[in-house]
Amino acid sequence: MTMATTSQKVAGAKPAALRLSARRREAIAGYLFVLPDALGLLVFIGLPMILALGISVFEVDGFGNFKFVGLANYARMWSDALFWQSLKVTLVFAVLLVPLLYVAGLGLALLVQRNGRFNTVMRAMFFAPQMVSLVVVALVWQLMTVDKLGLLTRLLYSLGLGSVSLLGNPNFALFTVTGACVWFLMGFYMLIFLGGLQDIPKEYYEAARIDGAGRVQSFWYITLPLLRPTSFFVLLVSAVAAVAGAQAFDLVYVMTRGGPANSTALLITYIYQQAFQYSAFGYAAALATLLVIVLMAVTVVFFFLTRGGRFQYE
Amino acid sequence: MSKRPPILYTVRQANTVRIVWMLVTLVLAVMTIFPLLYMLAIAFKGPTEVFKSNLIPDRPTLDNFIYVLTEVPFWRYLLNTFFVSVVVTVIALFFHTMAGYALARLRFPGREAIFLAMFSTFLVSLPVIIVPLFILVRSMGLLNTYAGLIIPSIFNAFGIFLLRQYYLSLPRELEEAAVIDGAGYWRIYLSVILPLSRPIIAALAILFFLANWNAFLWPLTVAADPNLWVVQVAISNFKSQYAASWNYTMAASTIVALPMLTLFLIFQRQIMESIKTSGLK
Amino acid sequence: MTSDNNTPRGWSRRSVLKGATALGAAGVAGLPMIGKAFAQDNALSFWQFYAPGGDVKTQVDWFTTMVDAWNAANDTKVNLEYVVGSDYISGSKLATSFASGQGPDIFIISPGDFLRYYNGGVLADLTPHIEAAAQQDFPQSVIANRMVDGKIYGVPMEVEPMAFYYSVKAFEDAGLNENDVPKTWDELLELGNKLTTGERYGLMFETGPGYYQNFTWYPFMWQGGGEFQTAEGKSGFDSPAVVQALKLWQDAINSGAAPRQILGGGGGDIVANLGSGYCAMQNVGIWGISAMENNAPDVPYGIFKLPVPNGGKYVTVGGGWAFVANAKGKNPEAASRFIAWALASMAPDSIQRVVDWCTVAKSDMPPRDSALKQGGEAFNKGKMAVFSKDIHPGTRAEPRVPPEVYKIISDAIQATQLGGADPQATATAASQQLDAFLASYSGAPIL
Repeated sequence: MTMATTSQKVAGAKPAALRLSARRREAIAGYLFVLPDALGLLVFIGLPMILALGISVFEVDGFGNFKFVGLANYARMWSDALFWQSLKVTLVFAVLLVPLLYVAGLGLALLVQRNGRFNTVMRAMFFAPQMVSLVVVALVWQLMTVDKLGLLTRLLYSLGLGSVSLLGNPNFALFTVTGACVWFLMGFYMLIFLGGLQDIPKEYYEAARIDGAGRVQSFWYITLPLLRPTSFFVLLVSAVAAVAGAQAFDLVYVMTRGGPANSTALLITYIYQQAFQYSAFGYAAALATLLVIVLMAVTVVFFFLTRGGRFQYE
Repeated sequence: MSKRPPILYTVRQANTVRIVWMLVTLVLAVMTIFPLLYMLAIAFKGPTEVFKSNLIPDRPTLDNFIYVLTEVPFWRYLLNTFFVSVVVTVIALFFHTMAGYALARLRFPGREAIFLAMFSTFLVSLPVIIVPLFILVRSMGLLNTYAGLIIPSIFNAFGIFLLRQYYLSLPRELEEAAVIDGAGYWRIYLSVILPLSRPIIAALAILFFLANWNAFLWPLTVAADPNLWVVQVAISNFKSQYAASWNYTMAASTIVALPMLTLFLIFQRQIMESIKTSGLK
Repeated sequence: MTSDNNTPRGWSRRSVLKGATALGAAGVAGLPMIGKAFAQDNALSFWQFYAPGGDVKTQVDWFTTMVDAWNAANDTKVNLEYVVGSDYISGSKLATSFASGQGPDIFIISPGDFLRYYNGGVLADLTPHIEAAAQQDFPQSVIANRMVDGKIYGVPMEVEPMAFYYSVKAFEDAGLNENDVPKTWDELLELGNKLTTGERYGLMFETGPGYYQNFTWYPFMWQGGGEFQTAEGKSGFDSPAVVQALKLWQDAINSGAAPRQILGGGGGDIVANLGSGYCAMQNVGIWGISAMENNAPDVPYGIFKLPVPNGGKYVTVGGGWAFVANAKGKNPEAASRFIAWALASMAPDSIQRVVDWCTVAKSDMPPRDSALKQGGEAFNKGKMAVFSKDIHPGTRAEPRVPPEVYKIISDAIQATQLGGADPQATATAASQQLDAFLASYSGAPIL
């Protein structure tokens, strides 16, 4: 701690108030650096969040009438069949989406990580679904899956699977919608993995090659471990997005509105409908609070298992 | 280096492998982009043809593009969206790199708790908080202003989280060298951290810009004034009670996707600039 | 990069940060508010999805002319505020505004939404401003679902009955003509199957969940004499009429005559489906006439009224939006006067306005007897004549239900139509849910 000893040496020459230890200086710097975002998040998300969740103990009709009901909204959840249905749908959706997005994102990033014009074009093509608006995505998938005429429908028919209604059959709709989400989001995660892959020093690969490692071994022993912070990020973010609906909700809602027969009714869709179609803001808030609590628990577990996502770098 | 590397592949085998992978990539890319060809096709079709399943229009027309660009103040909406997206992206990158760096590298009491608290804001999506947020923004007098479009959009824990993870995996040696040289944290941030994070900043620039370019719900809620409309709100306007002018919608969406594509092509090169790490091993 | 350790670096760093943040905040917050002040303070805001930003010029003109006429003669001005259609109907804009205490002063609602607003206490009583003669001018079948306890809370602007449209070309290909339109449900299914080819479906009902799907299904229940609510306020859902109506829709899909997925904007989008040749017969409302005229003028089609089940009686459902005033708005009294003047006055300009909406701006049936008379020929020409002579008589108003009842019925339809559930079992289960809800319901009557 050279800095501490230096300041001790000239202790008598400076007023005590200005003598900040290195530790203190670092702490102050830390707080200041974090301040703008912390403030912004607190005001624009934290506050509304607390307010929104606080409504959950009231019955609010959205027209200015509210009544304190304690935990009645939570009790209502327990016997609400649609709530359980949406929970089940959300779980299946998340369990399918997260691994698929991870594999797709990482796989695509590995394919196009080398520089060159070819890969530049390929990257743009993989990212293209992200660049068009949701309403386009919804329409395009509608056209591809529509009964009898859709391209995918005809493909499945020619493969001998009969005439399957990909979005109109409650048994298949969720899978189709998941597929559409993977298609839509994979460019996003590809980009993140590309950033993470760039982070790995090339020397490691060269050293491994010299030692006789094959490509699979390089991947397994160098790439994956060094990608851990990025992987952690991708898994957690995609899990939260699948459940809390940051990216998925809009797409699913616009494609199916939760149908057919509630087979694609995610929990976030249910919350949205309770709030904006039924004006049951109190109940919607209770559902949202439950969601946040569950996600918080999942997050805490994730962080605990990975020592704060820091892995071997601390 | 006395040991000769074992020859795993001949040159020709290596080339074949590479070509195979390129083909695989190409096939996947074409499959990915194929559905979007429908969008292009409809953009050039007249209203009666829209739902026919042909990919090449029978009677291709530029009318849809002309309509979108002349009958509707689309240039205004493009400008609005561009302005908002650029400002949000720049400010957000600035704030988030600062926060990410501090959360990854600087030690201060309560750091992990602060990070978890910030991350927890990621767990609530917009539909849940939109009513209180609307009330808040309205009481700040920011309704129907560019500030109302911009400020709330800056703060999103996603970028902070990603940057923190990224900074965690940066080699410490460069910073430590700067600290030993007596540089203050601001200086370290500007001259060491920022340049090192070029790849991730480029990736985030694309993602932030995109998120704001295609944003719909918040702009729709906060800016009812048509002078402030962003492109997605304008595009949703082509949909009426029972039907939609899909040909206009697709033409508008094609127009809207182009700047995004350009931006992507420019920035993705930055992602690929690898960090020079010589001298650290 | 050596520097004196004892210089209080904190100050320069802090001040830079502070300055930057302050500058940033000032810069962003101080951005000029581009765009004129959106509404003057005491002007009434009128939210709808037609004008001034809508893309049908005749509709825009109708609204702006009406508002201009009012503003010229009155001190309290009315200001049109356009909300994008899809967001108005199924988005969060209205709910957000009301929830934050800033709902519009005047707006339009569909019958399906009436109870939600009424039970929330935001609909102003319009009756004092509507003259008795005008009140009689609206047939009960049209205005009953906007009334509570004999008081009027909404003034309908249109009536949109449902019917079937068929593709002339599809008929001709099968060797049929307009005399072969189905009159019974059995004929409908049979014809649907006959007209189904490898590229086309014979029949189409709405399959997407929503108020619209419920709306289009109700007449099939009514035709068999069914009601979802009995006179005593108990559930009537567990009845043969309901079961056969659910079964009809299920059979249409299972037999392969009707598709599960629909193109374009859904079952109400005739251009995307009938117009593109995706289906041969489509269950659509009166708006189909202007839709086809505008966007598929070269596709010949015909119209026939809803077929009936064996032993059933013809009835169809009529939708249509209504003007309402916000009881918690800035000036409900002026808002109510505006609505009464605009659509519910016996003055000739008011009646003409209704006629213009139904014949010029849109193709709809008028909600008032005097408008039907005054409109005369306009309602009897072309395809409109089919509606006024055949279909409109026998129109029943769209029911108004609280959201919970909507959902129970919607789930029943979805489960049978798309989920393959047994109609009787579904009807019974739904009926029990309905009873449970009705027992605890205490709002305005469900009609």
